[in-house]
Amino acid sequence: MLPIDVAAHSSRWRGRHPLEKALLGFGLTVTAVCLPPWPGGPLVAAATLAVLLGPAGVSGRQLWRAFRVPLGFCVTGALPLLVSVGGPDGFLAPAPDGPRHALDLLLRTSAASLGVLLFAFTTPVSDVLPRLVRAGVPAPVVDVALVMYRIGFLLLDSLAQVRRAQAARLGQAGRAAAWRSVAGLAATSFVRAFDRAARLQEGLAGRGYDGALRVLVPPAALSRRFLAAAAALLAGLVAGTLVLKELGL
Amino acid sequence: MHIAEGFLPPLHAAAWGAASAPFVVHGVRALTREVKSHPESTLLLGASGAFTFVLSALKIPSVTGSCSHPTGTGLGAILFRPPIMAVLGTITLLFQALLLAHGGLTTLGANVFSMAIAGPWAGYAVYKLLRRSGAPLMVTVFFGAFFADLVTYCVTSVQLALAFPDPASGFLGSLEKFAGIFALTQIPLAVSEGLLTVLVMRLLMQSSKSDLVRLGVAKLTGAGRTEEAAAR
Repeated sequence: MLPIDVAAHSSRWRGRHPLEKALLGFGLTVTAVCLPPWPGGPLVAAATLAVLLGPAGVSGRQLWRAFRVPLGFCVTGALPLLVSVGGPDGFLAPAPDGPRHALDLLLRTSAASLGVLLFAFTTPVSDVLPRLVRAGVPAPVVDVALVMYRIGFLLLDSLAQVRRAQAARLGQAGRAAAWRSVAGLAATSFVRAFDRAARLQEGLAGRGYDGALRVLVPPAALSRRFLAAAAALLAGLVAGTLVLKELGL
Repeated sequence: MHIAEGFLPPLHAAAWGAASAPFVVHGVRALTREVKSHPESTLLLGASGAFTFVLSALKIPSVTGSCSHPTGTGLGAILFRPPIMAVLGTITLLFQALLLAHGGLTTLGANVFSMAIAGPWAGYAVYKLLRRSGAPLMVTVFFGAFFADLVTYCVTSVQLALAFPDPASGFLGSLEKFAGIFALTQIPLAVSEGLLTVLVMRLLMQSSKSDLVRLGVAKLTGAGRTEEAAAR
């Protein structure tokens, strides 16, 4: 399994209804994207971090390991905003207000990423997918996604083993060997994915498979208290940002 | 290249979501029809999607000496067709956003448009055109994967240029900036992905001929002779 999903399965909030966590996490993300980056970004990021490290019980180390990935993309993506192309100052020149725009972008993306991580760190994908049928997603699409989710992890494990075996046999020793190894990895994953699907098909056929993959969904009730607290937090963030903006901070 | 969470302004994020929706809905209908007529294909489609997800975890050596991962859009479109790829690509991008923190949910529409729609359709169109012109299978596979990768990055450049126009030269200047930066890394990567896809297809021709025949990539010709010869 992937580290974020492992953390989600053992999360303190695992038993909470996914809709509650979706409203809070995605609400924070949408708030971060829609509010002015300053002071909205830092406020939303601080509130999300407080929830993640406090009530949600996510470890700071795990959070940093997951957060540094989108942070790296954001920093790289913000760099082009620092320069301007084809202006009167030459082909390439520092962009007027470039640092401010880049900082705004970093604030917005960092805060928005934390909102999604709040949902991801507290809600396993396997808890969400079966419930999507009730939200109107066609059942065949959900079934395909469930199979993808289950087989995906097995394939990743098997790829890691094959990669180790290739490395032990000098499969990464040179450029040509590395190319052969990576092509072999991709082909192996294709063959294993289809082989596993065929074996699953045989197993399910023996159990009266009629085209629907029924899974048990852990029961969870919506908590009005949680929903009210989430709504109050989001409203407070919007109000706080607008007030601070109005005060010129 | 995934556009990170929160990177696009709200209007752009919504507009790319709206632009992607018809293609994804079309793909969902195609997938639903396929599953209803052949219930067993749920597992095969799931396996195909898992393969697409895993492809993004492979690291390929780049021509420039660095390392990157394939988009898998070209191979996916050739094997599973673009409408199905739109759905599988959307699910893959959703998993990547939630499980790997790559991409995002507000930018899902934009990422779906570049990686699950534009790339696969462009790659598939080139693949089909070359196939009809009688080019050898491996040549068509190379150019299919190459263009799928390249178009994915070109569309991403357009998306970023629209969202962040250059203060001096506007959209075109910004496009020049983003496309220029991407070109340095992505043209070599597109070549790498094309070569990798050819190697993968050659191996699949040797080990999974029956699966490729079922997917319609290889055809049984003459007295049971397949296009395996073309792979060699």
